[in-house]
Amino acid sequence: MSASGLTAPGFHSKGMRRRRVVNFVMELLAWGAAAIAVGVLAVVVFAVARRGWSALNTDLLTKPPIPFSTAPQGLANAFAGTIVIVGIATLMALPIGILVAVYVNEFAPASIRNGVTMVLDILNGIPAIVIGIFVYGLLVVGSGQSGFKGAFALAILMLPFVARSTMEVLALVPNSLREASLGLGIPHWRTTLSIVLPQTIGGIVTGTVLAVARVAGETAPLLFTSSLVGNQTSWNPTQPLQTVPVAIFELSESPDPADHARAWAAAFILLMFILVTSLTARWLANRSRSKIAGR
Amino acid sequence: MTSVDATPEATRRPFGGRRVRFGDIGLQLIAGGAALAVTILVVLIVWKVVQGAKPAIEKYGLSFITTVAWNPVIGRELYGAGSFLFGTAVTSIFALILATPLAIGIALFLTELAPKAIRAPITALVETLAAIPSVVIGLWGILVLGPILRTTIEPWLHDVLGFIPLFGPPSEAGASVFTAGIVLTIMILPIVSSISRELFLGVPSDLKEGALALGTTRWEMVRGVMIPYSSGGIAAALILGLGRALGEAIAVTQVIGGSVSIQWNLFATGDSLASKIAASYQGATSNLEASSLIYLGVILLVFSLVANILAQWIVRRTARKHGIVRGGHA
Amino acid sequence: MPKIGISRKFGLAIGTMVALAAVAVVAFIVAGSAGASPRRTAATATLNGAGSSLVAPLVATWSPVYDAATGVHVNYSSVGSGAGIAAITARTVDFGASDAPLSPDQFTACKGCVQIPWALSATVPTYNIPGVGDTRLHLSGPVLADIFLGLIKKWNDPAIKKLNPKLSLPDMSITVAHRSDGSGDTFAFTDYLSKVSGTWRTKVGNNTAVDWPVGVGGKGNAGVAAIIKSTPGCIGYISVAYVLQNHLSKARMLNAAGKYTLPGVAQIENAAQTVKKVPANNQMSIVDPPRSKKYAVAWPLSTFTYIIVPTTSAKASVLRKFIFWALTAGQSYGRKLVFAPIPKVVLVAAEKTLGKIHS
Repeated sequence: MSASGLTAPGFHSKGMRRRRVVNFVMELLAWGAAAIAVGVLAVVVFAVARRGWSALNTDLLTKPPIPFSTAPQGLANAFAGTIVIVGIATLMALPIGILVAVYVNEFAPASIRNGVTMVLDILNGIPAIVIGIFVYGLLVVGSGQSGFKGAFALAILMLPFVARSTMEVLALVPNSLREASLGLGIPHWRTTLSIVLPQTIGGIVTGTVLAVARVAGETAPLLFTSSLVGNQTSWNPTQPLQTVPVAIFELSESPDPADHARAWAAAFILLMFILVTSLTARWLANRSRSKIAGR
Repeated sequence: MTSVDATPEATRRPFGGRRVRFGDIGLQLIAGGAALAVTILVVLIVWKVVQGAKPAIEKYGLSFITTVAWNPVIGRELYGAGSFLFGTAVTSIFALILATPLAIGIALFLTELAPKAIRAPITALVETLAAIPSVVIGLWGILVLGPILRTTIEPWLHDVLGFIPLFGPPSEAGASVFTAGIVLTIMILPIVSSISRELFLGVPSDLKEGALALGTTRWEMVRGVMIPYSSGGIAAALILGLGRALGEAIAVTQVIGGSVSIQWNLFATGDSLASKIAASYQGATSNLEASSLIYLGVILLVFSLVANILAQWIVRRTARKHGIVRGGHA
Repeated sequence: MPKIGISRKFGLAIGTMVALAAVAVVAFIVAGSAGASPRRTAATATLNGAGSSLVAPLVATWSPVYDAATGVHVNYSSVGSGAGIAAITARTVDFGASDAPLSPDQFTACKGCVQIPWALSATVPTYNIPGVGDTRLHLSGPVLADIFLGLIKKWNDPAIKKLNPKLSLPDMSITVAHRSDGSGDTFAFTDYLSKVSGTWRTKVGNNTAVDWPVGVGGKGNAGVAAIIKSTPGCIGYISVAYVLQNHLSKARMLNAAGKYTLPGVAQIENAAQTVKKVPANNQMSIVDPPRSKKYAVAWPLSTFTYIIVPTTSAKASVLRKFIFWALTAGQSYGRKLVFAPIPKVVLVAAEKTLGKIHS
């Protein structure tokens, strides 16, 4: 710790004035930094909202795209595909994430706990595009793309998130509950499944919702696994399905202003979904936590 | 619970008298299996990616890292990571330089300066910045930010600071390393600021109040107490932000312009490791180009893993130093 | 990651909210598309293809017509010729489409594929110069090569002014736009530049993707069109259907016969007449037709485009019927997109190759 500046000169000396000015400037800069951050967020959200809102219409969700045509069209195939692929990804990631969290929190000795936590952090840090290359090499080469393979890639991205948030809620369940249950003769596995886990369902769902919000906007892994798509609206995950982020990516580089309008509208819907779910989840989590802490 | 009557040897329970149910073993196996599967997954990812890059690794070896070329023309094929490493370095360092003071400023604002009422909403807003998908930021970058930078900021910077090679002739098409750097700054700002904020919240208040009681101004207290105390954690935050910047493919590829060269002008086009992979992987003209692209992915993976593990190590070391129980924050 | 210490009630509330939102969207999509799409029986066949963005507008025109006529739905992803070749090689699609013919290595990698020329169009140098309208700019091969080599940097360069004496060209830097992905347009364009410029041939060469000396990269014909459209002073090369669709300005090119031409159906047909005999692998290059009165109006950047299919596949009969239709009835849909009908000699060769496809 530096000892500079810790002496106390006289209150109205010149040195004190200078120090006050420096302090004021620094505080101003901090206010400015926060203003910039909020400002950038506002600018981006506002840009998407303004352009997206004016391009929003029912066609976007009900009609599939018709390339090279000015006929009324939309991105129905992308919205359908996103719901299917993200849904399947959640079904893949959720059980594994919960099981890993259960193992780490309820069964594992400290060294394995640290090891698995480290593995989860490493998995979280692998760039999404590398995950895309991995799934492509593992599953797509020779056999083709499909919604399932895209969902698998997204599930890998969701896994650390689901596991970590489940671990955190499991840790919050008081040990007295476990001990009481074991003391009554209920076996360990029953305790975990019927007594401990139900306490955490709220947190698990919230963590999953946040994970969904994160992968709903992921583009890179889907480029490798579910991008050679048709224009029909399809719910069949054995075929590659269009997704909203990939559609936005493709439309963003188009020369046609009508394509840009659709991209803004889709981005608006995607952004609203992600923002509303993330903010609500965080607000509920904070509210609930302060309630528990206040007890 | 022990029974009083003498239990014959044959019926005595194994494992030291504890009741063991199949359910226990079953759940432990399944849950443990899941944990093992996740570990195997990480190993598998590394192995598969390295395996995909093998043809390129065998052909070029480590010289790939310094070669500045990407020539798919049949008969003259030559691939190298040099220009992409440079582009990754320039864009990431640019983003770090811009984001660090901003992030620390925001964190300080949220912990020390902001009125209590707006602390929670502003925190939520800054973290919301992290929730914006990269493709949406890229869309905004191509259609809004790029043109604005091209017509206003870049010419102004070139006029004022043009003697520095960094600020050469402005880009014509809006796509440039500069635009990519700004986009990356926006993307790593929330990570660095939220970790810094938690670090600053964790500075023991007696240390802070002690300094203030001695008559320091708030800024002097921050400079003398808070920042040195959190320096390890801030370093980890920066490394995590760097890792995020390294791996960002989509938004960068939308705005960076895609060229293969090493030059200092921020306003020219360039390319980064992740962005090149995203742009070229689908249409690789030969097995050699495809595996060279995966080789780029290997380099990217190595950097990300190093950054990640380094950040984790710093966090663990700092936590031990400050006696914080792992996972417990204010 | 946020701390989750949340009660069951709130957690379930938010989960229900998300689920309801998803269900609502699903219901909306299903309701909306129920009326729109025709009845689809379980036996409806689909053909999935990917590749050339040059042929994409034509395939998009074919798809609904063919679907109405036969019930077979053709899905096509315009990802560029390079990606099309990669996709069919990895068998992630039923057919690939590429304006660039397969190289010997690519033939080997594709393991028993054939390429069939099924359409004929052109790529066009396209520009965005303030004050210079459509077709006003005159260019020659060597000058075009020098622009793309970065040797000519401004629009009012003497070399360009020499070809455009009556045009007032601004003192503006030239921004070159090229393809960032593996592209058949790039193949035809660099083929042409290699033939008209020795410097280009030695320095850069001919390929679906090259090491561009200068310029900004765009993905697909659409991406390059977007760059040209939004960048004053820009020049790039895109296929003619995209030029028309986006109302961009095309340059007149000086052909070997000494005439400045524009890419029209007649001019492309003229260039295709250079094909006297089709080689066994169907590979043809019709850029830069030789100096002769016969090719007086030929457009020097014309190109065939191929469909690439495996000789053996489960969908062989569906593919054969589709390709045959494309080669015959389909050609008439091309005119308004500036696709010239393929010449007789090429049609014969194509049909011969088509016979090689079997289940």
